[in-house]
Amino acid sequence: MKPYEQAARTVEYKTLTLPSGLTVLIRPMPGYSAVHAIYATKFGAIDRDFKVDGKEVHLPAGVAHFLEHKMFESEDGDAFAKYAKTGANANAYTGFDRTAYIFTASSKIDESLDVLLGMVGNPYFTPQTIQKEQGIIGQEIKMYDDSVDWRLMMAMFQSMYEKHPLRDDIAGSVESIAQITPEMLYDCCKAFYRPENMVLALAGNITEKQVMDACRREGLDKPSAPVKVERLMPEESALPWRREYEISMPIVQTGFGLAFKEQPVEKGNLKREIIYDLLPDLICGGMTPLYRRLYDEGLVNPEFDGETLMVDGAACVLFTGESNQCDRVLELLREEIQRIKAQGIEEELFTLVKNQLYGEAIVDMESVVDAASSMASAHQHGRTLYDGIRTLAALTKEDVDRELATMLDPDTSVVVKILPQKS
Amino acid sequence: MERINIAPGVYLTRLEAEKFNRQRISIHFQFPNQREDATAAAVLPLVLERGWAECPDMTQLSRQLARLYGANLGVDATLNGGNRVITVDISGIKNEFALDGEDLSAEYAKIALGVAFHPYLIQGEFDPEAVEIEKQKLAQRLETEINDKRLYCVRQARRIFFAGSPAAVERDGYLEEVPQVTAHTLKKVYDRMVSTATIDVMVQGGDADKVKKQLESCLAGLNRQPAKLIENLAMPVTELRHKEEYFDMVQAKLCMMFTWESPMTSADLNAARLAMSLFGGSVSSRLFLNVREKQSLCYYCASTCSTMTGAMVVDSGVEPANAKKAEAAILKEWENLKTGEITDEELEDCRRSLLSGMDAVGDSLEGEENWYYMQICRGEPLVSPSKGKEALLAVTREDVRRILKGFHYSLGYLLTRKENGYETL
Repeated sequence: MKPYEQAARTVEYKTLTLPSGLTVLIRPMPGYSAVHAIYATKFGAIDRDFKVDGKEVHLPAGVAHFLEHKMFESEDGDAFAKYAKTGANANAYTGFDRTAYIFTASSKIDESLDVLLGMVGNPYFTPQTIQKEQGIIGQEIKMYDDSVDWRLMMAMFQSMYEKHPLRDDIAGSVESIAQITPEMLYDCCKAFYRPENMVLALAGNITEKQVMDACRREGLDKPSAPVKVERLMPEESALPWRREYEISMPIVQTGFGLAFKEQPVEKGNLKREIIYDLLPDLICGGMTPLYRRLYDEGLVNPEFDGETLMVDGAACVLFTGESNQCDRVLELLREEIQRIKAQGIEEELFTLVKNQLYGEAIVDMESVVDAASSMASAHQHGRTLYDGIRTLAALTKEDVDRELATMLDPDTSVVVKILPQKS
Repeated sequence: MERINIAPGVYLTRLEAEKFNRQRISIHFQFPNQREDATAAAVLPLVLERGWAECPDMTQLSRQLARLYGANLGVDATLNGGNRVITVDISGIKNEFALDGEDLSAEYAKIALGVAFHPYLIQGEFDPEAVEIEKQKLAQRLETEINDKRLYCVRQARRIFFAGSPAAVERDGYLEEVPQVTAHTLKKVYDRMVSTATIDVMVQGGDADKVKKQLESCLAGLNRQPAKLIENLAMPVTELRHKEEYFDMVQAKLCMMFTWESPMTSADLNAARLAMSLFGGSVSSRLFLNVREKQSLCYYCASTCSTMTGAMVVDSGVEPANAKKAEAAILKEWENLKTGEITDEELEDCRRSLLSGMDAVGDSLEGEENWYYMQICRGEPLVSPSKGKEALLAVTREDVRRILKGFHYSLGYLLTRKENGYETL
């Protein structure tokens, strides 16, 4: 058997497109007791301006997240109360470019599927229920205001982007969510909660028949009324909005972030997406000389890390950590980036990082939660997990070197520091 | 599942892992937590994780793990009541996924047992340079504890609540004692661990017989004298204390600690699970539904309890001006459960959720291992999750009340802005 073929078989799952436009991904996992289900829409915090059937809609920050909370309420009761009757463990989350509703259950799967499909398919909002939610979400916003990591990340986005909605918190602010009306929420549902913008992914102790029956009960087996949607994304400069930013918080060690504003990754460029996934490990991961030096000299703690983000209209590479000598860390990090750009990445390191990513792809299909999440995520990025494995197998060091030459330009970088508050 | 005794206080447990893509080996060392060497014991996992006799360099070890397709090696410390558990674990993809036909199982076993039993030593002691680097890392971790206010609040509350008991000994040691840790003191605590700990090796997938032989060879040179572990404990009832600490923060944190007064036993476990689910451990709980959803008094408000320490913790994130109101609301929900009505519906909703969780235990390597290792720590006969469900099904409303009635409110710890402290409320 050719290398990677065994892995390709391991990431198999069934893909169906229903007459309503809904994509269904099913991965039965023999021997497992539980099922994890994800019902997700490609609608997140950055989708703030759009046209739906000719009507222009402009949302205040935080609507996608607010809507996620409100979806749990319907005219005939709270979805959590309904899940309590099935024993399912349910939740939801909102990201920059998606919102997902999930449950894990080991019994009464059909009933849980009815709750999941029903709550998202039949939204119900009133001014009174909206007002109640503003209090709870206000508390959530305040909790994040005290989080060093979150404040650091948001400050980096706010420094890089002048207009892109990444600069606003996923949950919005107390002031922005106060502007939310039932009409806005219904507009979002019409534009983004239509079946063709959604994916239903299930993994575990489940059959295709069970899923299809549930979709039929919810009417998803019939064509849905066409809706014309146009996303409006503001024009964004290639350069950062501001280069440096400092805030203070009641902490004892400076938190720092170095971010590079990159060109958005065009849809379908899977090779580039995978290179983004590899980059942090190639530059500052545990196997790199840079990490070892920073670690041994006591300049960073093990939480020092890099990550990348790719959404519509934006892509960036972020390095974050805590240090009492953050200027020195930033200097060494910048030097290493320039060295790698000039000399190319080390061959052995590239092979090892690629190996790791291969292992992760196999591991991700082991648990019902990770499998369903990976399937849904791949679909929302316009690919399959098999595409990912195949592209990874073909990736060369030269591909990465070529891509790196156009990235991590010092002129596109921003530095953010969170300083200990002076008493 | 099979658990066999290999040497005094050393056991090997073999668990099925056929359906998984990974295999896993864990080596648990459980021994009484001692105040005098707590800081050295906190440095130990950090130094062990850097490498071992055959691969002393941490970067080379990282590369070796990446070569094994991103195998995951961890050395971690946890506390089980008055005992410390240091766990070396490794997990990685099964042999069938190896691209060049490598015997991954053998490599995993070699690394895990090597890290646990053959550390890198220089003249019989740990590498002093590695020890100094990891001491610095521990000191940094201890210094930056206040960055996470939720965790910090719970830790501060625990420090006061458990004062004077074995459960008060810090998992991460003490900042002021970090400088005194040396390569020599670290070796002493390592020797105490390998000679006196109860050792449990759990093998999931891979070749357990081969691991057994390798383990026996590791034990051959050791003078094993397992120490008696500290039993379940409980703090005495005290007068209610309120403590507060001030930070310029947006959301206040409130941690409430309760004692069960006398040690809990394994027989209390399932009733305690259901009681927590009902009080504040689930989305069907009174704290979630009433204090968060109906009264909007907190964003999170959760209760947990440990049978090993007989302690119940309620921690919440609250509006600074509402801290006292939130505390009263939490106590009211507790009181209502102790003396008021508990409907069949809410009791069964909570039970159903726990049962569903038990069904899913066998769907992850870590979940399954944790299920059995916790039974080992509690000194119980090992039963499968489906047997465990039977015990949960037998819990009655009165069992739940008995658990909740047994708690006494001992301490409220509030982290808030100065103008919102208890004194000014």
